[in-house]
Amino acid sequence: MTATEILFWFLSALALFSALMVVISKNPVHSVLWLIVVFFSISGHYILLNAQFIAIVNLIVYAGAIMVLFLFVIMLMNLNANTEPQRNSLVRLAGVVAGGLLLTVMISALRSANEITNSKATMSEGDIGLIQNLGKILFTQYVVPFELSSVLFLSAMVGAVVIGKKE
Amino acid sequence: MNAIIFSAGFGVIMMFCSFLISNKSSYRHIAVVGLLLLLVVNVMETNGFDIFHINSYGMLSYTRFGLFFNTIAIGSTLIYVLLTGKDIERLGNYVAEYFTLIFFVLCGVCILSSYNNLLMLFLGIEILSIPLYILTGSDKRNLKSNEASLKYFLMGAFSTGLMLMGIALMYGGTGTFSLDVVRSQTGLYKGVSFLEIIGLLFLMVSMAFKVSAAPFHFWTPDVYDGAPGVFTSFMATVAKVAAFVAFLKLCYVRMTATSTAIDWQLLFAIIIITTLLFGNITAVFQQSVKRMLAYSSIAQAGFMLFALFSLNDFGSKGLLMYSAAYCLATIGLFAVLVKMKDVTFEGYNGLAKTQPVLAATNAIFLLSLAGIPLTAGFLAKYYMLASVIATGSYTWLVVIAVLFAAVSVYYYFRVVQAMYFKTGDPQTEPITGSFKIGLIALAAIIIIIGVLPQTLFNWLYF
Repeated sequence: MTATEILFWFLSALALFSALMVVISKNPVHSVLWLIVVFFSISGHYILLNAQFIAIVNLIVYAGAIMVLFLFVIMLMNLNANTEPQRNSLVRLAGVVAGGLLLTVMISALRSANEITNSKATMSEGDIGLIQNLGKILFTQYVVPFELSSVLFLSAMVGAVVIGKKE
Repeated sequence: MNAIIFSAGFGVIMMFCSFLISNKSSYRHIAVVGLLLLLVVNVMETNGFDIFHINSYGMLSYTRFGLFFNTIAIGSTLIYVLLTGKDIERLGNYVAEYFTLIFFVLCGVCILSSYNNLLMLFLGIEILSIPLYILTGSDKRNLKSNEASLKYFLMGAFSTGLMLMGIALMYGGTGTFSLDVVRSQTGLYKGVSFLEIIGLLFLMVSMAFKVSAAPFHFWTPDVYDGAPGVFTSFMATVAKVAAFVAFLKLCYVRMTATSTAIDWQLLFAIIIITTLLFGNITAVFQQSVKRMLAYSSIAQAGFMLFALFSLNDFGSKGLLMYSAAYCLATIGLFAVLVKMKDVTFEGYNGLAKTQPVLAATNAIFLLSLAGIPLTAGFLAKYYMLASVIATGSYTWLVVIAVLFAAVSVYYYFRVVQAMYFKTGDPQTEPITGSFKIGLIALAAIIIIIGVLPQTLFNWLYF
């Protein structure tokens, strides 16, 4: 095993483990902290794939801004294990069955997807994820969706004013 | 591209109006002028005159069908603003911003009618939804409105997450975001990747959420009931049929390509039956007309789903017909509803005595929704059922649909019964003469489309 492979397996195991901990932690603050670990390990994967820009953006936006927001919301609402609503066992059972079915379908689809088993990820090569190429493609091929997304942000900003401003 | 750019531009103009012009009632007139111009530029583009020449690298493709749908959507919005514009003004201090958001929704509608790339589908759906979350919560002092807005936002965000997951899986399966992908991979199960099918299933779930098809309809009654009536009208009509048109395109291209691997028709048949069942049966038990209309919009979605089930010429023509008939009738019904002080069935008691014009036009709208002959709604339902017959399979669906249409007559006629055969003293806001003329014109359009459907369809071909 090369160093890259060891790193890959370590990051994958870390990502899976911390994602599981997000779900099974009783304390919401712990969930958020584990989620930060997930984002860091995924950023590590991006760096392995030579996509430095998206790795950094992932850290800044998700692990930075959005997680701080999550923590604020949780602290403001004063959530803890005691205030968690009690669900009846029938709803829980339905949830487990539905989730289990989805898991089965997804695993079986992944197992029979030949195009995945026969192909390998290119580690630390390829330059599509570098910021120069990303910028070029964003302003040539993807310029129409790039500009149209401004409408999306504009409507969100108008909404923030309409909802948030005092009458 | 005309309609997309102009609608976004008018949205920005309305934003500037909000602080440049202080007279509240002039916003409505500016919006009407904007919508008229939008209609003109869209018709110009339909006839081959495009002001902007923008290379979208195949991400947008303009078809006669999509452009004609734009015309229906913009026209319905125009009628909506003309009829209920005054009631929007009563709502709060941010009248210009509400019109801004309505123009942005139209921008999303125009993207959804012409997208050719999953990235554009995502952008279109988001530009359509985010203004709607805000409009739902625009009645800030009303707790029900707040609850509806938050509920809609959380559930909508979840369904958007599913959609992104689906798009990512489809990208994994085909290697492109483009809709009409050239299948180069070989050696797979009948040439179709499993990842793509899983991705399509996710996309189907999230789109079914957006069009409020059962079993993804639970948000609809609460949101439509909690939102201010003026915006429920817009949400339940233009935004909903736009999501249907986007869904139809997705089905036409990707689901026919993967139909060897999975029986989409069976899936859609199940969704249609559950939608018709939940929508119609629950609507029967409602006490409030507003909530009844919310459930009826689920039931009508069940009928529109037939276009996605059969995927033929009848279906797509029928969807256009249905969107015109459904939008016009529902906008008319809500225009009257927001004038009523009491929106339960009792509130309509004896309306025919005090406001005969309102009652008569309301009855025509209800007949159209129920699908009674000589109205647009009848032909719309006819085209939908004919499309199922044309596929030659699952013809028993037609029988079920007709049975549920009969059920729907019951709850639509409860309103007619309250208006004409019961006595009461209905309280309404002051009704102006121009409002009555508008309602009569709208009812006339519905009957003209119902009697002479070619007036609508001729636009598709010449």
